[in-house]
Amino acid sequence: MLDAKPAKPLVTVKDLKMYFPIHTGLFRRHTGDVKAVDGLSFTIFEGETLGLVGESGCGKSTVGRALLRLYELTSGSVTIDGDDIATLSSEELRLKRPAMQMVFQDPQASLNPRMTVAAIIGEPLDEHTDWNAEKKLARVYELMDAVGLNRAFANRYPHAFSGGQRQRIGIARALALNPKFIVCDEPIAALDVSIQAQVVNLLEDLQEKMGLTYLFISHDLSMVRHIADRVAVMYLGRIAELSPREPLYADPLHPYAKALLSAVPDPDPETEGKRQRIILQGDVPSPSNPPKGCNFCTRCPEVIPICREVKPELAEVRPGRFVACHLVTPDNQKAAPGSTGGPEATEHNQQGEPKK
Amino acid sequence: MTDHTIDLKAAKPRNQWWDVWDQFRTHRGALIGMVIFAVIVLGTLLGPFFWDVDPKFINIRARELGPSLAHPLGTDQLGRDMLARVLAGGRITIAVGMTAMLLSLVLGTLVGVLAGYFRRLDGILMRLTDLFLALPLLPLLLLMVMLFREPLVLSFGPEGGIFILIVFAIGVTSWMHAARIVRGDVLALKEREFVLASRSIGTPARRMILRHILPNVMSPIMVSATLGVANAVITESALSFLGLGFPPDFPTWGRLLNDGLPYINLSPERVIWPALALSALVLSINYIGDGLRDALDPRIRGR
Repeated sequence: MLDAKPAKPLVTVKDLKMYFPIHTGLFRRHTGDVKAVDGLSFTIFEGETLGLVGESGCGKSTVGRALLRLYELTSGSVTIDGDDIATLSSEELRLKRPAMQMVFQDPQASLNPRMTVAAIIGEPLDEHTDWNAEKKLARVYELMDAVGLNRAFANRYPHAFSGGQRQRIGIARALALNPKFIVCDEPIAALDVSIQAQVVNLLEDLQEKMGLTYLFISHDLSMVRHIADRVAVMYLGRIAELSPREPLYADPLHPYAKALLSAVPDPDPETEGKRQRIILQGDVPSPSNPPKGCNFCTRCPEVIPICREVKPELAEVRPGRFVACHLVTPDNQKAAPGSTGGPEATEHNQQGEPKK
Repeated sequence: MTDHTIDLKAAKPRNQWWDVWDQFRTHRGALIGMVIFAVIVLGTLLGPFFWDVDPKFINIRARELGPSLAHPLGTDQLGRDMLARVLAGGRITIAVGMTAMLLSLVLGTLVGVLAGYFRRLDGILMRLTDLFLALPLLPLLLLMVMLFREPLVLSFGPEGGIFILIVFAIGVTSWMHAARIVRGDVLALKEREFVLASRSIGTPARRMILRHILPNVMSPIMVSATLGVANAVITESALSFLGLGFPPDFPTWGRLLNDGLPYINLSPERVIWPALALSALVLSINYIGDGLRDALDPRIRGR
């Protein structure tokens, strides 16, 4: 998996933080922050698909948007193709925009209801090229062909399309300027299952043809397994584990990754019957007031005292596998076969195991 | 769906204004409204050429006559021909109503969009709006007329000067509701994903507003525009009634109404005709606005 890819990093994220200020009281004083993304570092290599998974509200979408600087970063740097997005001036950023595009979650909301399909797909061309109308139209038709839309639809409005077709329009718009990097922000979450496959296959075909790099944000773990080369598991604004796909799904190291992946149903009824789910207790802590130590320490079935005091850093514990956990240490290589993780993890499979 | 139809249809996207017109034509009320509006406008513009009686000519012997061939709509208490006065009054009423509506619409939309889109301007612009809303309208108008009437009349002539003054006075005192409604809609629109998508493309604010925000706030703007005409006409007649608008012998529909009011028992037609014309005007504009709003919305189009 890893060795098949060219190892040139396209996107490098260092210590990305995205806080949303909370203002309270009569004078709207700044009383705290929602720490949506709290110190994220990762690299996306050229031509690969990095899956980003995690439960609702863990900051996945915020990461995607921050990467394209749709939000002003609180701190950290995002280097895409050699330029630090976080510090570019607005005009430089505008010129940089064609290299990075986004496919949105809700294909209904991401298309202007008052524009025709041709106008929507052509909008990036209007902004970044000085082509004449004919050339733009030719390009729009080319893009519609590429995503499998009938050319005769060019003059229709988004409301006349089904969800899958709308998502194709959104993808065509993202492709218009030949980007290198596309953030797919849950592109399939609003589609029904048969259409999900179509859209994902379309994304894969396009990646193959155009050499695209994806950040694929999703909470659909099986779909991520299908499309991603490497997967980052997020919990409460931090990466818990970042591993190549197969090792992660076969043998997750971080307790949260274990719990999350134990929820993936298995199509094989034999193994599905034996699948033991790890049910986590309690709720996700508020991102405005995360725990002092590890963000997962309030719900972790394997919590040890140091977890409540010190935030674990993301470290490479196996070749290519990064985990932020005190229990998983680089020298700790002897994962028991069949078990999922370190030797400390002996009782974690008991459902509803009380903790603390 | 087959290839040859693609070639035919894909030659060139059809200009979408044709779709708007197609949809507009299916709105019966809007079509009737447009015909009535056209009749009123053409009548007031061309009518005086066919009915060339001076609306200011006083014939005290022919006062308060009923309808006759010489005076189809009768005469008023000074013997002036009512038909001529209605025709002449329509011209100025329509002009004042439309121009004041346009002015208040432009102001309201501008303030609303700027306040909604640019967070930094929101506070100051909305407080300005509150300020204008809190101003007592009539005293303000009185003050404006008193201060600016003389200089305007001197530079633009008595009718032009008063026209500018009235249009301005009505325009700057009636934009606030439009601004508030537009701001609210812009605030909601700004968070929609297609605006975010456009930002990820790198669209600058100016084009973002023109391309994404304004077309989507068209509906409330249309509604406040059609209501604004009626409002402007009524304010104009109130000003005329107070003796602050056009000179007393200068006919507008509002003034004709006010003049006819004391005589409503003797000759109700003196009130009925201008009132009918006024209602027809306002109603037709409302229907046109309604049809236009529907036609401009692609989701309704084609139903």
